Amino acid sequence: MDRPGLYAWRNPWFKWSVLSVVGTFVAAVLVGFLWLPSVQSDFDAQGIWASICRAAGVPDKWGDGSPVTAPVDAAVIAKRLRTTGVVLSQSMARPGSGEASGRGATIALQQCTMCHGARGVSVANAPSLAGQYPEVIIKQITDYQQGDRQSSIMQALARKLSERDIADVSVYYAELPRPQPLAGRLNVTVPALVLVGDPMRNIAPCASCHGGVEHKLGSPWLDGMPKDYLAVQLSAFASGARKNDSHAQMRNMARQLSAKESVELASYYARP
Amino acid sequence: MFLAKKLVLAHFWVAFIAFAAAMVLGAWQMFVRSPLSSWVGNPEHYYRSVTAHGTVMAYVFPTLVAMGFGYAITELALKRPLLGLRWAWVGFWLVIAGTVMASVPMAMGRASVLYTFYPPLIASPLYYLGVVLVVVGSWFWVALMVINLRAWKKDNPGASVPLAMFGNVAAAYLWAWTSIGAAVEILVLILPAALGLTDTINAGLSRVLFSWTLHAIVYFWLMPTYIAFYTIVPRAIGGRLYSDTMGRVAFVLFLVFSMPIGIHHLFADPQVGSGFKFVHAVFTAMVSVPTFLTVFTIVASCEIASRLRGGKGPLGWVKALPWHNPMMLAVTFSFVMLGFGGAGGLINMSYQLNETVHNTQWVTGHFHLIFAGAIVIMYFMVAYELWPQLTQCAAFSTRLVKTQLWLWFVGMMVLTGPWHWVGLLGMPRRMAYFDYSHPAIQPQAWTVVASTVGGFVLLVSAFLFVYILASARRADKPAEPFTFSVAVHASSTVPRALNGFAIWVALMVSLTVVNYGFPIAQLAMLKDASVPVIPVGAR
Repeated sequence: MDRPGLYAWRNPWFKWSVLSVVGTFVAAVLVGFLWLPSVQSDFDAQGIWASICRAAGVPDKWGDGSPVTAPVDAAVIAKRLRTTGVVLSQSMARPGSGEASGRGATIALQQCTMCHGARGVSVANAPSLAGQYPEVIIKQITDYQQGDRQSSIMQALARKLSERDIADVSVYYAELPRPQPLAGRLNVTVPALVLVGDPMRNIAPCASCHGGVEHKLGSPWLDGMPKDYLAVQLSAFASGARKNDSHAQMRNMARQLSAKESVELASYYARP
Repeated sequence: MFLAKKLVLAHFWVAFIAFAAAMVLGAWQMFVRSPLSSWVGNPEHYYRSVTAHGTVMAYVFPTLVAMGFGYAITELALKRPLLGLRWAWVGFWLVIAGTVMASVPMAMGRASVLYTFYPPLIASPLYYLGVVLVVVGSWFWVALMVINLRAWKKDNPGASVPLAMFGNVAAAYLWAWTSIGAAVEILVLILPAALGLTDTINAGLSRVLFSWTLHAIVYFWLMPTYIAFYTIVPRAIGGRLYSDTMGRVAFVLFLVFSMPIGIHHLFADPQVGSGFKFVHAVFTAMVSVPTFLTVFTIVASCEIASRLRGGKGPLGWVKALPWHNPMMLAVTFSFVMLGFGGAGGLINMSYQLNETVHNTQWVTGHFHLIFAGAIVIMYFMVAYELWPQLTQCAAFSTRLVKTQLWLWFVGMMVLTGPWHWVGLLGMPRRMAYFDYSHPAIQPQAWTVVASTVGGFVLLVSAFLFVYILASARRADKPAEPFTFSVAVHASSTVPRALNGFAIWVALMVSLTVVNYGFPIAQLAMLKDASVPVIPVGAR
């Protein structure tokens, strides 16, 4: 008997399988790429090709091309939206050389110790820097330098530092030992906001970025920071006076906190 | 069976021990976030456990069951020794090595990225290498299944491939193709980031590549169950298979349609165009066809069994089914769970309805009901069926086996019912913590307690399963030779197209290329599409 080959069009299994799969595909594409986009309420009939591009996820232009708001100088918008000029990268977090640490120590001794303490532990309500993550120090000094974070003292000091100076200072402070918690502090109850946040208010747990549960690049180590410093920063984030946090990460958290909660968190991390 | 007894037994024992361990984690997870327990205090511990539970249950357990069952089928259905036994052991040890390698960073909290990886989260490279080894080990199995079938066909020109082997090799081809997505994701995108060679990752592309694997892997898990439906159930309940051809059609339809549909997992992802989402939704709907065919065929096969036992009337035959038989019970439970889970699945795959359940507990409920319910209950039956062949043990206590099956069914319904319900109310999945003192959450607290109870019932059933297998007594005489179901109208030849995979593999690959080609190429070429990686547990 003359049996058709497997791939022969005369083989009904081959023919009907291919035809039905191709038919289903073509029908799905016609509906998904031509018909459905055209019935969207915001579809403004730019032709078949525009419809296909839109359905494929590559519109040739967004909207109808007219400006969304009244024309404002682009530079003004950019300034208003600007948070920071620093792009965090893992390379900032790598340990530096001994030479970098030595240079950093020299700079720190001359310019930082007055407020941040001889060994990086502040007694002057300035943040303690001993054991701080290097990328945190790089980011904050650079933000002061570029005017994204305000402080009359820090902006003046930061202006003179080169990129290498900043990196070296960060290496030095990262190597200093963090203040040890006193024995009595171990019995402190951890506030729920630190451990679990408040999901219903969209507050993430502090410990999921600042260490304890997980540490995220660019989030400072907070244990042992002066209480007043922490409280002031939280309220500055809440009011928007400080806005050098990328994607408003801290502003969104701080805005949700009550004044009492802010103080509770500051006290917990400071643990006198 | 000939050579592969030890091999199959090794696969099954490792699979079931890993399964029992992951069950403990699952029950613990339910318990610690329920109001019955004070909270664990650290969400990372919860996610560590979820990662281990998911990695074992998704990658290790079903892969080993499919491999072991596949080797058994090769010898039992082809009635000759397995070719490449030594390579099969190499594959097995690779799976073991991969499992151990992935377990270490998981236990240390260096891999709490969940089994779906979620880039830009990045775990220890050992975790991904471990997963890759598990997959590579399973590729040995894929190659051996194809080689064994080819050799058998050469020695038996023109003969029909036994249905069990046909489904088995379909599963092998399916797995070979579906595992490529995650393999490429790991090797090309994730490992360079995990090894510190790059600081950024194209998260959108990673997710699309993972979706390539993520949905079809479910059908790889499903295949052993469907093979059992067609080739074991009708014989075990004393009936005949209604149609051998229908089985073949179902297997090849899975091959063609289960691949090009994974983007329905990305309906909420902005990086994929809505046109492709719609096309994937259409093909996801198509994949329900082989399941409907199977349910029809197996119910018809049950009816045959009943009428042979004297069942009468249009519905009266249901009463005459062999309800005392554990297999009858298992297939019924499996179909009930498949029915509820499948209906839920049709909601998930529908582009618009998906919005209401996306990333809620509904989804967790859905895949537990389908995989852990409908599929795994048949894994149990496969083990019970094969154990006398593998260990020469005497028949199991029907009462114990039925108790185990009942516990699994009831436990799974109690676990997943509340999940579906609160999913509709909007409870997100993968939450480590619920604040039950909050007035908006408090009314749903009872559902978590209910699911916890279901979880513990399942745990008891899992241990009972392992106990039944471990305490099997040696039989006085050798086991009866194993047989597969016989079709009611046995035909000596099957259409050539249904005796091989050429057309179906070609359609599977072509459909994948047209459905995935553009989104992958577009995202790969998109400028500035990478985001900074977030190493997990590194500090």
